[in-house]
Amino acid sequence: MSKPIRIPMPKLGRLYQKAALDAARSKISSGGSLKAFPEQSVVAEHPGITEDQAEQYRRLLAGEPFDGVHRRSLPSVLLHIAGFPVQMALMSRDSFPLPLMGMVHLSNEVLHHQPVHTDTPLQILARAGNFAPHRRGTQVDIIIEIYPAGLDPASASSADCLYSSTSQYLGMGTYLFSKDEGGASSREEFTPPTKTALWTLGTDAGRQYAAVSGDYNPIHLSGLTAKALGQKRAIVHGMYLAARMLEGREPESAGHRWDITFEAPVGLPGKVAFAAERVDANTQQFTGWNPRKGRRHFAGQLTLP
Amino acid sequence: MAETPRDAVIIGGNRIPFARAHGAYAKSSNQDMLTSALNGLIARYGLQGKQLGAVAGGAVLKHSKNFNLVRESALGTPLDPKTPAYDVQMACATGTEAIGSLANKIKLGQIDSAIGGGVDSISDAPIVVSDELRGILMEATRAKTAGQRLKALAKIRPGHLAPKAPGTGEPRTGLSMGEHMAVTANKWGITREEQDELAVASHRNLASAYESGFFNDLISPFTGLSADNNMRADSSIEKLAKLSPVFGKDLGGNATITAANSTPLTDGASAVLLGSEEWADAHDLPKLANFVDYEQGAVDFVDGAEGLLMAPTYAAARMLKRNNLTFEDFEYFEIHEAFASTVLAQMKAWESEDFCRDVLGLDKPLGSIDRSKLNVNGSSLAAGHPFAATGGRIVATLAKLLHGKPGKLGFISVCAAGGQGITAIIEGR
Repeated sequence: MSKPIRIPMPKLGRLYQKAALDAARSKISSGGSLKAFPEQSVVAEHPGITEDQAEQYRRLLAGEPFDGVHRRSLPSVLLHIAGFPVQMALMSRDSFPLPLMGMVHLSNEVLHHQPVHTDTPLQILARAGNFAPHRRGTQVDIIIEIYPAGLDPASASSADCLYSSTSQYLGMGTYLFSKDEGGASSREEFTPPTKTALWTLGTDAGRQYAAVSGDYNPIHLSGLTAKALGQKRAIVHGMYLAARMLEGREPESAGHRWDITFEAPVGLPGKVAFAAERVDANTQQFTGWNPRKGRRHFAGQLTLP
Repeated sequence: MAETPRDAVIIGGNRIPFARAHGAYAKSSNQDMLTSALNGLIARYGLQGKQLGAVAGGAVLKHSKNFNLVRESALGTPLDPKTPAYDVQMACATGTEAIGSLANKIKLGQIDSAIGGGVDSISDAPIVVSDELRGILMEATRAKTAGQRLKALAKIRPGHLAPKAPGTGEPRTGLSMGEHMAVTANKWGITREEQDELAVASHRNLASAYESGFFNDLISPFTGLSADNNMRADSSIEKLAKLSPVFGKDLGGNATITAANSTPLTDGASAVLLGSEEWADAHDLPKLANFVDYEQGAVDFVDGAEGLLMAPTYAAARMLKRNNLTFEDFEYFEIHEAFASTVLAQMKAWESEDFCRDVLGLDKPLGSIDRSKLNVNGSSLAAGHPFAATGGRIVATLAKLLHGKPGKLGFISVCAAGGQGITAIIEGR
C-alpha cells in the first residue's frame, strides 16, 4: 500500500457542495478510470468525539448516557460517524473514479476491536479497494481504520487498530467494467420472521440523524430534495437503522463484530418491522422489513467476543 | 400454606360500573371516579370519620397534577383526614399490587385497616406537549433576561405544537400490547374459536351474575350508569365469528385477535376494604376471605424471548411452590382477560410438560384449569378493563365468591405492561 496522504479533518458540508458541483458539471458522472486511481488512502487526525455529540446520539437512540457510570464505550455507529467525513474526502478526490452523488450504501461490516471513549483524539485512515462489477454499476469497498492519535498508520500493527469497517458502496450507472460482468439480480424470496419490535419513523427521522451525524445528504432531508435525487420520498440513513439495531447490545469492553446489508430503502415517514433472533450464545441476527409490503430493508448480525 | 403472623381479611369492595371509553364517563376525571368508588365503600361499611391505616392505589394514565391522586381522592371522602394515602403504579397490576402490599402491612401488624384500589380514564387521558416544546419552555423558564427568554421561545416551530397523547405501545419495542399478544397467541397455537368461546362465556357469566344480584353490594352507580356498559348478554359465537382480526394482521390466516376477544378501552374505579380480624370484629364488619399471598413476576420480552403478558405464568409457579399448593387445591380461578388469548396462553403454558419442566423448572406440569371454575362471574372482556381498577374488581369478586366457604381457595392472575404480572391467593371464610 502506498503511503496515505495526510489531510486535515474534512468538513462534510464542503464535500457535499463539491459533489453537487461535480454532478452539475457532469465532470465525472460518466465515470473515471481505475488506472487513474491507484490504490490510494487518506488519513486525518480527529480531535475526538465530544461529550456533546455522544449525548446527542444518546438522545436520538434513547439509550443510556456515556457518562462513565452507565456506559463509557462509544457505539460503533458513532465511530462510523467520526470516520465518515474522511471516507467522503477520499471518495470526492478528483481521481476517485465513481461520482459521489447517487452513491448507494450496500453494506457495512465492522470489527470494533477496542473501546473508544469521548474526548480521545483519534487518527482515521480511509482507503478504497475491491472495485468490482455490479449489474447496476460499479461497487467499491471503502475501508476505515481508526487508530489512537499520534501513531503512524503506515507502521501501525493490527493490534493498534481500535476499529475497522468496510463500507460497500454502489456507484449507480457508472460501469468501470463491462456491463455483462455484473451478473443477474439475485433477489431471493423473503419470508418475514416473527417481529419483536416496530419502529415508527417520522418525516424528520432523516433530519434528526443528520443533526447528530453531520450527514446532510439531501436524499435524507425532505421529500423535495429526495425527489431531486430520484427518490419518491426522503429515505432514512442506513446507519441510523444500524444504530437502532445495535442500541443497547454492544459490549462495554468491545471486541465485537457486526454487519448489516441494506436492501429496500426506508421511505419517510414509515414503519419498520424488526426482529432480533438468537443464533447462538454469542450471536444475534436482525432483520428489518416493511410490515405492509413485506419487503426487506436490511439484514444484520452481531457477534460478541 | 406459608405461615404469617396474622390474617389480612378482605371485608368488602366497591366499584363504579365500568364504562367504555369516551362514553358515560367522558367528562369525569380519575379523581372524580376514585372518590366515588371510595365514597360508596365508606358508606357501605360505615367508615365515616374513621382513621384507617392507609389508602393506596393508583392510575396507569395520570395527569401530572394528580401526583397525589389517592390522597386527594381520600380527602374528598368522609374518611378522617388523618388517614395516610399514597399512589402505587405497576401498570395493569396497580390495583393488585396496592391491595397485596396493604395486606402485607396488616399481616405484619403495621396497620389494622386499609383501602386498596385503582382508577383509570382513557376519556381524560393526560395529553402533554412534545419533548421539543417542553425543552424550549423550560429553557425560557431558566432564562434570566427577557432577551434570553425571547431567544429560547423563538426556537418554537409549528411541528413542536402538536399535543402528544399516551400510546398503547410498549416503549422498548414500539409494538402495541395487541401485537405482542398476537405473537404469543400464535406461538401457543391459540385458535380463534377458543378465544371467541372465552369471550362469549365472559359476557354470559357477567350478565348472569348481574341477574342474580351478585354485584348489588359490590357496585355503586355513577353519573347515571348502574352496570358495566360493555357487557353484551346476547353475545354469541356466531356473531363474534364475523369480526375481522385487528391485531397480528401480518400473520395472515393465523391472525385471531378481534375487537371482541380483546378488552375494550374503559373508564372506571374500584376499591377494596381490608383489615385485621380484630379490627373487622371491633367494627362489626363482615369477613369475606383472607388475602393469603401474592407474587410478582417479570419476563424478558424485549427481543421476544418470552411473551409480553406471560409473567403471571412464572409468578404462579413460584407462589404455588411456596405455599405447597397445586391447581387442584383451588375452587375458583380469576385470570384477567387482557385478551381472551392471554388467559388461554397462560393456561396452555401451565398444561405444557415441556414448558413447566424446561422453563419453569418444575417436576411436572401445573396442570389444567377446570373451565367451570374460571372467571365464573365474568371478567375483563365483558366488564371492561380500566387498567388500575381491575385488581380491585377481581379481589372483591373473588372474596365474595369464597365467602361462606371457609378454607376454600381462589387464584388470581393479572398480567401487566412491561412484561410484568401478579398472581395471588385468597382463602374463603
